[in-house]
Amino acid sequence: MSIELIGFIIVAAAALVLALMMVLSPEIVHSALYFAGVLIAIAVLFFLMNAVYVGIIQILIYVGAVVVLILFGIMLTRRNILLG
Amino acid sequence: MSLPSWEAWTCVWGSRIGDTLNYLYSIPHSIATAILSFLHINLPQLNYLLTWVIASIILLVVVMVNVIILIYVERKELGRFMDRRGPFVVGPAGFFQNFADAFKFLIKEMILPENADGLGFNSTLVIVVASSMLIMAVVPQAPDFYYTNTDLGLLLAFAIFAIEPFAVVIAGWASNNKYSLLGGFRSTAQMMSYEVPMLITVLSVVVLAGTFNFTQIVNYQASHVWFVVPLIIGFIVFLISIVAEIERIPFDTPDAEAELVHGWMTEYAGIKFALFQLTSYVRSFAGAAIMVLIFLGGWTGPILPPILWFYIKVYAVFTLFVWMRASLPRVRIDQVLNLGWRSLLPLSLVNMLIAAFLKIYGGVFHL
Repeated sequence: MSIELIGFIIVAAAALVLALMMVLSPEIVHSALYFAGVLIAIAVLFFLMNAVYVGIIQILIYVGAVVVLILFGIMLTRRNILLG
Repeated sequence: MSLPSWEAWTCVWGSRIGDTLNYLYSIPHSIATAILSFLHINLPQLNYLLTWVIASIILLVVVMVNVIILIYVERKELGRFMDRRGPFVVGPAGFFQNFADAFKFLIKEMILPENADGLGFNSTLVIVVASSMLIMAVVPQAPDFYYTNTDLGLLLAFAIFAIEPFAVVIAGWASNNKYSLLGGFRSTAQMMSYEVPMLITVLSVVVLAGTFNFTQIVNYQASHVWFVVPLIIGFIVFLISIVAEIERIPFDTPDAEAELVHGWMTEYAGIKFALFQLTSYVRSFAGAAIMVLIFLGGWTGPILPPILWFYIKVYAVFTLFVWMRASLPRVRIDQVLNLGWRSLLPLSLVNMLIAAFLKIYGGVFHL
């Protein structure tokens, strides 16, 4: 087994596990956190395939903007701050 | 599917012109070769991996030493601006005051608030600190001292800059404190709105230089003119935007001590708070370094070696940051967003127009 394949398997497995945790998490903000992890893992997959530009834009747009928008949406709807 | 071969991976360092002169490659490579020959192991992959690890450690140490000096410089200069002397008791001229503060933070208890969200509270610390340290990996410090020299280095640096905001808003939420939540919202809104004029300004530099590679941008400025001369509007916009992006004092509404008791960092105690403060100085260092590289001619200068010129310019820009901190009052939160969207965005577009004009009819500056 070549070393490139090992790197690919590690990153792909991380992306899959994070995606599962995103779907199964009971707390919705945790889902957003795992979602950012999934997007970064996909960006690393692009880096591994020498598609550097796509990976960078993936981080810049998705992690930098889309996840933040999702979080703003979550926080504007329901909030149980200062409760037990 | 097909993956690139091992040679394609190693070409991050291997294929660049003049890479044999890169001290951040050659020194770790000789150390790794010595270790592996001492252990009688002959594996090129292991050698590459070990070189990579040692180079990372050296880069981390360089950045950390610079951060310590930056904190000391800021305290001394701020003292002078306020007509006092700054730290002068611990060590020679008060240089070891930072270490004393660090030890004080280390012996404090690490508190997790009772109703806080443990995962969000702790993982965001890791994300913020790690992503900020990662910026310096793509910023070259001299033609013979850099970690990576990719063709998209400038874009990559701003992509890594953009990771922090979502971690900040989660940190503010997870602290379960209304001041923290407000601070997180403010921080993210500010960072996102100032990223737009900053990236458009960077784009004008890229239009003139024709590349995203830091080294080629610096070489272009060395052979033509520093970009601060034709793009003076862009320089001012970038200065304001980068100060807002690293949340220093004229734009520190997210962690305003007086109104929000340190905003999204309120509930972090002990070494966690120290790490956040350290991170803000790493970001200041990276911001000053990027500004020097794309506007002020990078490491070019007469007589002195390039790396010395780079640090002279970075510390001069940092002194400018300290000057702004000492002389300007904090901007109110509604004024922050007005300034970002209504003033800086049109100015950056004007700057972009000037850059495009100079690119076509740039005979005056030989651009």
